[in-house]
Amino acid sequence: MDATTSATVVLVVMVVGYALAKWLKLSTELSMVVAALAGGLAAGFGVPARHIAEGAMTYLDINLIFFTATLFMNILKESGGVAFVVRGMFRRFHRRRAVLLVMLTILLLIPGALTGAGSVTVLITGGMVATVLVSMGVPKVKTAAIVFVLAGLSAAAPPVSLWAMMTAAGVNMPYVGFFWPLLLPCLLAGILTMFLLGWKGTPVEIDRALQDLPEPPTGMNSLRIALPFLVFLALVLAGRTWPHSVVVMGLPFMFLCAALTSFLLSPVKIDFLRISRSTIDQLLPLLGTLTCVGILVQLMTLTGARGLLAVTTVTLPVLVVYASLFIVLPVSEAVLMWGAAPVLGVPLVLFFNTIGLNPIVALAGMSIIWPLGDALPPTAIIGRLTVDITGYKESYMSFLKACIVPAIIISIMGTLMVIYSKELGFLTGI
Amino acid sequence: MTPMLRKIVFSVAGLLLLIVSGMSFYESRNLKEPVVVSDGVTKVVRLSTYFSPLQGTANDCNIYILEGKEPGATLCILGGTHPEEPAGRLATWLFAENAVMSKGRLIVVLSANRSGSTVTRVGGAYPPDFTIPTSWGGQTFRLGDRWSNPLDQWPDPEVYIHYPSFQELAYVDIRNLNRCWPGRPNGTLTEKTTYAFMEMIRKEKVDIVIDLHEAELQYPVISTIVAHEKGQELAVIASMMLTDMEGFKMGMEFSPKNLHGLSHREIGDHSDAISLLFEAPEPFLDATRGRTTREQLLTGQDDFVVKAGKHGLLFEKIDEKGWPIDVRVGRHTSAVLQVMSSWTEAYPDKPLVCDNVPRYAEVIARGTGAFLRAPAEARQDRLFHE
Amino acid sequence: MELIITIIYYALVAFVSALLIYNLIKSKEWQKEILTIIVLIPFLLRLFMLK
Ligand SMILES: [Zn+2]
Repeated sequence: MDATTSATVVLVVMVVGYALAKWLKLSTELSMVVAALAGGLAAGFGVPARHIAEGAMTYLDINLIFFTATLFMNILKESGGVAFVVRGMFRRFHRRRAVLLVMLTILLLIPGALTGAGSVTVLITGGMVATVLVSMGVPKVKTAAIVFVLAGLSAAAPPVSLWAMMTAAGVNMPYVGFFWPLLLPCLLAGILTMFLLGWKGTPVEIDRALQDLPEPPTGMNSLRIALPFLVFLALVLAGRTWPHSVVVMGLPFMFLCAALTSFLLSPVKIDFLRISRSTIDQLLPLLGTLTCVGILVQLMTLTGARGLLAVTTVTLPVLVVYASLFIVLPVSEAVLMWGAAPVLGVPLVLFFNTIGLNPIVALAGMSIIWPLGDALPPTAIIGRLTVDITGYKESYMSFLKACIVPAIIISIMGTLMVIYSKELGFLTGI
Repeated sequence: MTPMLRKIVFSVAGLLLLIVSGMSFYESRNLKEPVVVSDGVTKVVRLSTYFSPLQGTANDCNIYILEGKEPGATLCILGGTHPEEPAGRLATWLFAENAVMSKGRLIVVLSANRSGSTVTRVGGAYPPDFTIPTSWGGQTFRLGDRWSNPLDQWPDPEVYIHYPSFQELAYVDIRNLNRCWPGRPNGTLTEKTTYAFMEMIRKEKVDIVIDLHEAELQYPVISTIVAHEKGQELAVIASMMLTDMEGFKMGMEFSPKNLHGLSHREIGDHSDAISLLFEAPEPFLDATRGRTTREQLLTGQDDFVVKAGKHGLLFEKIDEKGWPIDVRVGRHTSAVLQVMSSWTEAYPDKPLVCDNVPRYAEVIARGTGAFLRAPAEARQDRLFHE
Repeated sequence: MELIITIIYYALVAFVSALLIYNLIKSKEWQKEILTIIVLIPFLLRLFMLK
């Protein structure tokens, strides 16, 4: 059997294994492991323990960032900090709808930008922002759509953008120069979505909304909220300004320091162990996704399935690739979640590199399209979570319909960023 | 099944996976690679001789010194900067086990980043080791990775800022020996390692440093000598001679002035030595590669990489014959020997003459294994381990 | 100083491992249990300095 045939067989076995596992109601994470194991067996490697464990190690450091950053966000929420900010913003700007909408956009972007996970945005600020939006007369379905789309953009936004990080790592490209190419489209698309879906409404019912929002504890003030962020920022800046006299700290340690600051400054007493446990519980699907993706990618690499995908992608006609991004990326996200980045992102970036595009801007463009797939079956994790948190009770289909206009805008933006990545290369600052 | 029993069953399965894989990781981290030194090796020291804080770390590698019968220049070969590029390491093995210097002095390093040779790349599906066949059975080597083992250096920074240029690099590259030159005494393990090598280069008054590498075919810097501007003439002549006399294409390009942390730039800038870096083709590193196996590593045969080549995506040619390890090792030994003879022609008062090391054609004809010496038959004081 | 940071990282890995084991004991769904064990493996491999 030649290499193409045998790798195709492995790939087919993997797809069948995945589909079968899904059909048996297994979670996406476990289905990926089933696919990996099936592929390993089909390729004659048996159950390669070393490769399974090595693949599982792939995103250990990212998992630590995940845990520490989300712990920070959860402590901030538990201490009443998020409620304090939302209420303060609301009281101050409730007569100026435009300003309020911009503020809410930023509020939704921050948690995901720091942690790299859209679901953290939904959990930390999604609920409260939804309350505010509903009180501004925005229909529930549109509110849910806003939270979902913004959560996706927040995950793509810098500093932590997992699709970009994982793809860059896969092609030995430094994760450097992504800040502006990611931030600008996320901000622009975010504000656009917010105004498109949230501009029409009724005058704000301030009293009712304030009643619905959680009450911040007495003693909460802006300093107690700002200080943990300042600690984080100071550590990042210290590492960048004096890299050769400050010890190497790494992002998990920086988030841990911010979390501890937030913990110490909290006006209410927080049970550190309890909140750590619930953070792990809440993150399990995400930590699990990264770990299982690592296993799947390692087995795909071992068996040649990844090489087959890569060589097929890099030999496709350019126009086909451009024209299919808007569908291929969200669908791959829906099936593999972050696994889409190492499996599909890597060959695409290699391809863009060989045809002379700017790989950084192109990858940034792809990164904003990927999260759209988080509302699609079979996984639809963030879509379902959003519907749940915002208290939207109508059909899932009409929620998807409400997302369609922003999704089209984001797809066009992302695709244009890929096509004109060379012209936009100045954004990288390199 | 009760929930408790269920949990126990799952945990036992998990534990089994943990133990089996853990043993494999432990074994490859501690696999000993024998080196039976040639009669030409006059002294073996540790890298910590030149910078004591390295003592007791994973990167305190052996330094093999071959003092010539007659005086001359000093040349240093670095193998294992990127251990996942095995032709570089194997070529240094052939020097350490065979070379005799009749003029000048040779310093050979087999595991420049020893830590990096004890781990394989996550997600890369590398085999833990590979075996070169020999008449006495075969010798097994650790495959290794491009970066130092996280067990020796952890965590990575948010962004890696190179010393002393302040150039921003990918955070993982703080563990990439060839992004950490010239190093610093109070830096990370990898930076301390390059600093120790710089100390060695200065103290031993090394004239030429050659860093041996391999590259994926999709990478533009391949089958070439990358030269610091101080080594321009030497590299040009060596590359011409190799192409003319030995029949394999060997390019020459300059070390870019603004690309920091690489040996061909920083060694030349921070010492009196000329710095050169050789690249050979290694299809095993290509992202389009098919099955990731020991055979692919050693034969360099890969249908998918060939297909990528047919679409004009590669910077080196490849056909179904692939790039066998002997061809890659032979390119390196010949290129090093050629640099020695070109140097000797230019500086007859500081000669470098090395005997007994096979060149390109000979390595291909007899195989790399023919030049590895059996550890079982070695005298104890001539046997070392990497 | 470098050593202190590294020790903090190992402590963090130990802490996360302990949390995962606690959640494994408390869990009531079999899929979640398998996933927890899979997630736990890399943390333990690092904790025992195997990988
Ligand atoms: Zn290299």
